[in-house]
Amino acid sequence: MRILLVEDEAPLRETLAARLKRDGFAVDAAQDGEEGIYLGREVPFDLAIIDLGLPKMSGMDLVKALREDGQRYPILILTARGSWQDKVEGLKYGADDYLVKPFHVEELLARINALVRRASGWSKPILACGMIKLDTTAQTVTVEGKLVDLTSYEYKVLEYLMLHAGELVSKADLTEHINQQDFDRDSNVLEVFIGRLRRKLDPEGTLKPIETVRGRGYRFAIPRTDGDDE
Amino acid sequence: MDADTALPSRAPTATTNNPVPPRQPLSLAARAAIATGFVLAGFLGLVGLTLSQANRSRALSALQQRLQNDTIALITNFDVNRFGKLLPPDTLPNPDFSRPGSGLYAIATGDGGYRWESSSAIGRDFTFLKSLEPGESTQLIGPIDTRMGRLYYYSYGVALDTVEKKSVRLTVTVAQTEDQLEGDNAGYRQSLFVWLSILGVMLIVLQFLLLRWSLTPLRKVASDMTRVERGDSEHLDSQYPLELTSLTERINVFIDNEREQRTRYRHTLADLAHSLKTPLAVIRSQLESTAVDDASRRSGVLDQVRRMDDQLSRAATSGRQTFASAVPIAGHAEDLVQSLEKVYAAKNVLCEFDIDEHAVFYGEQGDLLELMGNLLENAFKWASHRVLLVVKAQATTSRQRPGLWLSVEDDGPGIAADKIEKVLQRGVRGDERVQGHGIGLSIVQDIVHAYQGELLVDRSPELGGARFSVTLTPA
Repeated sequence: MRILLVEDEAPLRETLAARLKRDGFAVDAAQDGEEGIYLGREVPFDLAIIDLGLPKMSGMDLVKALREDGQRYPILILTARGSWQDKVEGLKYGADDYLVKPFHVEELLARINALVRRASGWSKPILACGMIKLDTTAQTVTVEGKLVDLTSYEYKVLEYLMLHAGELVSKADLTEHINQQDFDRDSNVLEVFIGRLRRKLDPEGTLKPIETVRGRGYRFAIPRTDGDDE
Repeated sequence: MDADTALPSRAPTATTNNPVPPRQPLSLAARAAIATGFVLAGFLGLVGLTLSQANRSRALSALQQRLQNDTIALITNFDVNRFGKLLPPDTLPNPDFSRPGSGLYAIATGDGGYRWESSSAIGRDFTFLKSLEPGESTQLIGPIDTRMGRLYYYSYGVALDTVEKKSVRLTVTVAQTEDQLEGDNAGYRQSLFVWLSILGVMLIVLQFLLLRWSLTPLRKVASDMTRVERGDSEHLDSQYPLELTSLTERINVFIDNEREQRTRYRHTLADLAHSLKTPLAVIRSQLESTAVDDASRRSGVLDQVRRMDDQLSRAATSGRQTFASAVPIAGHAEDLVQSLEKVYAAKNVLCEFDIDEHAVFYGEQGDLLELMGNLLENAFKWASHRVLLVVKAQATTSRQRPGLWLSVEDDGPGIAADKIEKVLQRGVRGDERVQGHGIGLSIVQDIVHAYQGELLVDRSPELGGARFSVTLTPA
């Protein structure tokens, strides 16, 4: 998951960025609205966290500009004022959720997960594709009810693939949306991880959950069965 | 600075009511009515008196003239023979002299005990009359009381010469009872009274109409003031007469000052809250993200952070205002529900409305949004699928701002009757299970309190979950 974090208060920005990275997100931090709009247009994010009180360009204008620019990723606004006026206005301009400062970091993480999930069409916190179930809240994966032991990086790759189950995910998508520090883009580390993931999920080779589309990327092949509400 | 201190000091002066309410001074209309009433009565009385006096003196001089003429005419008709005997007139100047009891009498006395009376005077006692010397005359005398009633009379003395140049003295008196004079006079006075009364009534009606007309601008100011208080209008913005403009302009300045002061006050508070909340967010995120050895110390600091945050969140409530604008509710409610439906999209909550389209909130728009926003968010949080928002305006007299009834219901688990008290206690975190710090409900309570309203929590009769209803009374 690649997240845009726009917050002018340096200590908060740094703490949050560090915390998000630790949780396996790729984070691009911006300290004002102008930097935010530049990054927001250039980088394919999965989510943006935008503080409303920003220098140079207000958070509200940033949200508006990103939406006008056609960016579809979910936006979570942070507001210090906490007034409903701000919340209503922010949501009207295209934000998807808000959090009032000061907030619990756990709360922020929960909101991020829910928004990302919703954005890719999953309504429940457990992503189920056949026998494979991924619990986004507990960050655990089970196959036929049995817990599979994954590293946090493997989990992130699987989560991204399952969120986009049925869709083609290019190698570039994966490297861009998964915490960049973990590997070198040009190496074949990704292939190695995918191979390891396949063995852990499907030791017998019967499920074949991850399909390789030659030269283009990967696809999570088992259709969604989580019985979405609507 | 003045307005700063004026703002809080307003409340106590309004509440310290004297035990004995001072009597309201007389209304301007009553003052004017009393004053002109007295002036009019005095004026018309004097006019009546003067006219009646003038009429009387005119009548008296006419009477004197007539009596004098009759006397002269009688005298010329008297004759004296050569023996010096007086001969009574054979014709009389006025037929009333011949009619008994007519009230017009002629009496002549002369030398040698001569006495003549007109037929009307026969048998009546005129002994009080004195003989006059020739050439002597009385003025009009009277009224004197006699047995025939009140009398006016006029006497004239002459000497008639006989052929032998002997002189015989004669005094002729013509008298008239007062009732004939007074008869005219009373009729005159009566019609005078009637006409003056009609004039008086007409003047009073005219004065009433004039007063109404000239007090119209004052009534206009009062009704405009009510409109401003009801929030139907921003200022006293009609055209007023010159005498009132300095008053109305000052009132407008005062209204503007109050609004401006309030806005500045609110912005200052919001800025303060804003500037403190980000540092609090930093403290919290750093504490939560880094491993602090002493877990209890960490939670202690976090608790303080939460308390500061709660206080800041509640600081911005502004409360009931004298010169509030009317904030229409329906549009804001829709905005809020749309926002919440977006945030709670995953829950698939259906929010139904029943909003009186005339319902308005007299106060700060921000307060309305906080009030509804927090109640609705609470309902969305707890609802399983349905939320119902009902807003009704309460009818009032035209001078009052209408009251408001606002309720938010959900189909969630509801609040047990014995827990309601606890939920409503300030600062109690009623909804720790779901996100938020329970501050929402305290803010709602603060606002309801500031607007002198009432918050009630019970079970929704329709949806089965909790129902929060807010009543703002007409004011």
